[in-house]
Amino acid sequence: MKSLSGMAAQSGMGAARKAPARAAASRVDRARRVALLFTAPAFAFFILLSVYPLLRVVWQSLRYANLVNPSVSGFAGLDNFRTIFEDDDFFPALGHTALWTGLSVIGEYCLGLVSALALNAKIRGRGLFRAIIITPWVIPIVVAGMNWSWILTPEYGVLNLWLVRLGVIHEPIAWLGRPDTALLSVTLVNIWRSFPFYTISLLAALQAVPSDLHEAAALDGAGSWARFRFVTLPHLRTVSLTLIVMHVVWTAVNFDFIWVMTQGGPLNSSETLPIMIYRYAMQSFDVGAACALASMMMGFMATVFFVQYYANQRLGAARTS
Amino acid sequence: MGSSRNGLLSRVSSLMMCAAIAVAAGYVLSAPPAAAAEPVTLHFWVAWDPTLPDAKIAQDQIKQYEASHPGVTIDVQDMSFGAMHDKLVTALAGGQPPDVSWGLAEWLGELNRMGALADLTQPASTWPDRAALYPNALAGLTIDGHLMALPHYLGIRALLYHGDLLKQAGIAAPPTRWDELIADSEKIHAKTGKYGFGVSDDTVRAPQELFTLMAQNNVAVAEPRGEGRYRNDWDTDQAQLGRMTEVLALYKTMLDKGAIAPNATSWGWEEEDNNFALGQYAMVMDGSWMHLHVAQYPDSMKDVAISPPPALARAATYFEINPLYVYKASPHPKEAFAFASFLDSKGYQSVARPEDSPRMDVTGKDIWGTEFSKLAAIGHAFPPIALGQVARDMQEAIGRVLLKKEDPATVATWLGRAINKALRQSGELASS
Repeated sequence: MKSLSGMAAQSGMGAARKAPARAAASRVDRARRVALLFTAPAFAFFILLSVYPLLRVVWQSLRYANLVNPSVSGFAGLDNFRTIFEDDDFFPALGHTALWTGLSVIGEYCLGLVSALALNAKIRGRGLFRAIIITPWVIPIVVAGMNWSWILTPEYGVLNLWLVRLGVIHEPIAWLGRPDTALLSVTLVNIWRSFPFYTISLLAALQAVPSDLHEAAALDGAGSWARFRFVTLPHLRTVSLTLIVMHVVWTAVNFDFIWVMTQGGPLNSSETLPIMIYRYAMQSFDVGAACALASMMMGFMATVFFVQYYANQRLGAARTS
Repeated sequence: MGSSRNGLLSRVSSLMMCAAIAVAAGYVLSAPPAAAAEPVTLHFWVAWDPTLPDAKIAQDQIKQYEASHPGVTIDVQDMSFGAMHDKLVTALAGGQPPDVSWGLAEWLGELNRMGALADLTQPASTWPDRAALYPNALAGLTIDGHLMALPHYLGIRALLYHGDLLKQAGIAAPPTRWDELIADSEKIHAKTGKYGFGVSDDTVRAPQELFTLMAQNNVAVAEPRGEGRYRNDWDTDQAQLGRMTEVLALYKTMLDKGAIAPNATSWGWEEEDNNFALGQYAMVMDGSWMHLHVAQYPDSMKDVAISPPPALARAATYFEINPLYVYKASPHPKEAFAFASFLDSKGYQSVARPEDSPRMDVTGKDIWGTEFSKLAAIGHAFPPIALGQVARDMQEAIGRVLLKKEDPATVATWLGRAINKALRQSGELASS
């Protein structure tokens, strides 16, 4: 058993040791509080401008809300979702969304990769080409959409004129006015507009591939395809995954391109889910059904994002281990 | 740690409280005294093309109005009709509509259903200019006995034709019936290589054209049942369904016989108007705004003449009563009505809208003013229902016939059901 004086001496020493520790902890606390204080405005804006509207959309999806029919109101349960599933246009629009998104992202990635590889090669005027290729991406969507609508118009569109003169087609085609060509036409325009973003991102990743790896592979007898397959592509994996996921979300929720060029027509042949949300809200004034569809899309997009996020995490963990 | 978090939370809460109090105090301090005479700003949404002469005339007139009404400022916002519709819907949902706006006749029913419009019955009852307006224009804007908007201009549809193309085809006079129009179109195509007629299958023009033919064949979109309820009766009235089938079959015939261009199946109003103005085809059902193209395309528009629309069972045309909407939420209802009624005054209409004025004492001197106003008596307007989905269904019906080549009878049956479904969704469907 220790003597009282010994204990007192020990506790004095302990207190003396704890004092700097407490001071350090309080400094950390203070810094954290200051950090929280500075982030509070951003957090408040986030709550106000993102979280609240999103929660409000989810809440409205469970309520009857029709701007021109005030007689229906109150809690709807899943009725709004039932309205969506019973709509004859829903499953076609879902298919159009999948087609529009899938073809757009595949086309953009392929074109972006090819152009990035070309611009990574040591060619004369490379800087100029790199600057020019970004042009479609910096044109506002509405401007690009309207210009392409004029280019594709059958009466005076330059594309039809060229195709007829070249003998590819016999007479002008209403590319945006036929159910079998409207969605594909808008998709091609979307690919044209978006692929430079892939080009720039993939080009940046290509420039980060160490050249000695290529040299070593070449010394080992690897041909250009093998070097691309086993050296270049693995270095593009992370940026590719991020680009694809980002564009799946951006393209699936895209409204303006299709609206400017076809408004979802003709005969709903280019109607995607965002166009359908717009129609519910602004033409049928059924805000409840519009919110139900928006909630479904939001859930799907959030799932895509989280799957990508955790896949990236696992990829990173696998690399470090 | 927990206490430090609590401390932080309480500080943040205090800060937010302070901010809220500051905002509230600022609001109170900045709020004008209720009783003080204050300048009035009226927010006025328009959809004019600022480059065209009529917009410049209107802007000058508004400046003169401001000069003669000290303290009243007109804040004009210009946008397309499409953008205005969406902006109005969101502004109304947010409780911030303008005081007065242009608009389309198709919005009357839905804006009324939203409770957005000021009831103008009382102020208009003592308005001296009321008697100068076409009675059917006022009737078209009256719902259940209440005047819900003022007429701004009339978009009466007539048959416009390129006289030179008809002459080249050996046609002495424009057609008076649709079967004549189809036969004339075949002749025009054979002689000139140009198509005889133009239709629209896109934008708001498509349902308007379909509505004209329906009115000519005694087909109603929906019948009123009282108390703001309507119903499409084609399911119980087989004769009416048959007449609707005839209307849709007319579209099919026009395409099959080459009266319209194959690509016209995707035209909206812009393609229809511009291609006609450029002389790409011979005849169109259109409005007096086409006079604006005379200055734009003087060569191709110089042979354009106007005649009454061809008839089916009876003579009828679409009577687009373009409204001026005054909003219930306006904090200045008196000034808003005064300004809206100024836009209907003889002085304003004589200079700004001589060709398509809703005033009986204002008619243009050339054919663009006289030939359209003659048709006011046979004009028919849409019923005042929420038309958003109904118009879309009508457009789809044309597309089903022209693009999908569906049987007109099947499409007519589908359209009748679709209209009743839209009425049910908007709460306007009568039970029987």
